[in-house]
Amino acid sequence: MGSISSDIIRGYNDTMILYLLWEAPSYGYEISKKIKSLTDEKYVIKETTLYSAFTRLEKNGFVEAFSENAAINGKRRTYYRITEQGRQYYREKCAEWTLTKEVVEKFIKEDGGV
Amino acid sequence: METIRNYLETMFARLPITLEVQKAKNELWQMMEDKYTELIKDGKTENEAVGIVISEFGNLDELAEELGISNFVLQENQKQAGNLRYVTLAEAKEYLHDKAHTACTVALGVLLCIISCCGYLLDSSWSLRGGLYAMCFMFLSIAAAVALFMYSGFVMGKWKFLKKRGCSVDFATAEYVHNRRESFRVTHAMMITIGVILCILSVLPVVIVTSLFSGRIGMGPVLMFVLIGIGVFLFVAAGNVNAGFTTLLSLNKSDTMGGSFVPSQKQVNYKNNTVSQMMSVYWPTVTCIYLCWSFLSFDWHITWIVWVIAAVVQQLIRAIW
Repeated sequence: MGSISSDIIRGYNDTMILYLLWEAPSYGYEISKKIKSLTDEKYVIKETTLYSAFTRLEKNGFVEAFSENAAINGKRRTYYRITEQGRQYYREKCAEWTLTKEVVEKFIKEDGGV
Repeated sequence: METIRNYLETMFARLPITLEVQKAKNELWQMMEDKYTELIKDGKTENEAVGIVISEFGNLDELAEELGISNFVLQENQKQAGNLRYVTLAEAKEYLHDKAHTACTVALGVLLCIISCCGYLLDSSWSLRGGLYAMCFMFLSIAAAVALFMYSGFVMGKWKFLKKRGCSVDFATAEYVHNRRESFRVTHAMMITIGVILCILSVLPVVIVTSLFSGRIGMGPVLMFVLIGIGVFLFVAAGNVNAGFTTLLSLNKSDTMGGSFVPSQKQVNYKNNTVSQMMSVYWPTVTCIYLCWSFLSFDWHITWIVWVIAAVVQQLIRAIW
């Protein structure tokens, strides 16, 4: 299996982050770890990619950043919380993906063109 | 952990110091630290953990737009393709070694120049033979001094590129140099202090000898020049060694993240270009005025006021432009 092209997945980094923030606020490393484990290590997000996604989401008002001491070792971290706008955006992205998948799927041969 | 820190510092070293850049660096450091700690906890060796963290770091170009530095990154990339050169840690060590070495030879040369006239002072009878010896001593010491200067210039010649080409040092090197300078601080202060004391005490031999042997000066002036010579030797040596540290540390531009080691008072920037060019010859001009006035009028007791006025005027110019 080939690796994921970062150009393709870039448009959906935001969706993944919003999904992971849906239930509870989280911080940088925890999110990157969850992305890694949820995708069975098929997608490892780079630190710079993650940070640039955070700043973009924050600028658009989809997440809020706040500082808090971590429960485990008391280290001060920047946490991110999803906003109502963020939830709205996530729903839009989900709908967009369903449509995209539907369209692209029409052109994918069932046997993968073998 | 240290390796990761250095890696991050080096990546950020040439970015401008802005709030966004600082924040990004802190955030990225948090994530890298978390990842590293967890990898170690999972039983990875230190090298493996460092390797993983660095390979999964990504690329700063990706952040350019978010940090508002797209133009900057573009320029830097073009410059890098041009003639920017990194000074390695080994080179920095060698440079400091050469600098310390030549600091001594130059200072010794200056010392020889100062005492070169001592032959004439020793022989107050102005006999022909005495004059001959005195002249020989003077020329020999000046010749030796010139040889020392030339040797130093030759040794330091290979480091000329530091001043001419755009060079920069990475974080680890900057920190090394910074530490070296810190540990030299006490020695530097001692050398300057002893030098000043020697210069002040230098008049004592003349005074003592004159008062003891009513009217005869004898060894007095010679001792004075020797004391001043040693004092100046200490100034020159200490100053040169320090200049080496400063040269290396100021290679990085002061408005970038890597340039934060340079003491800020070193950078006096005049906004007006003409003024800044005029100010580059300010102190030489002041010296010239001082010497001309003093020698023409022989009013040494009052001419020193030039320095005080010059300092005030300089502050004024700094404040206005």
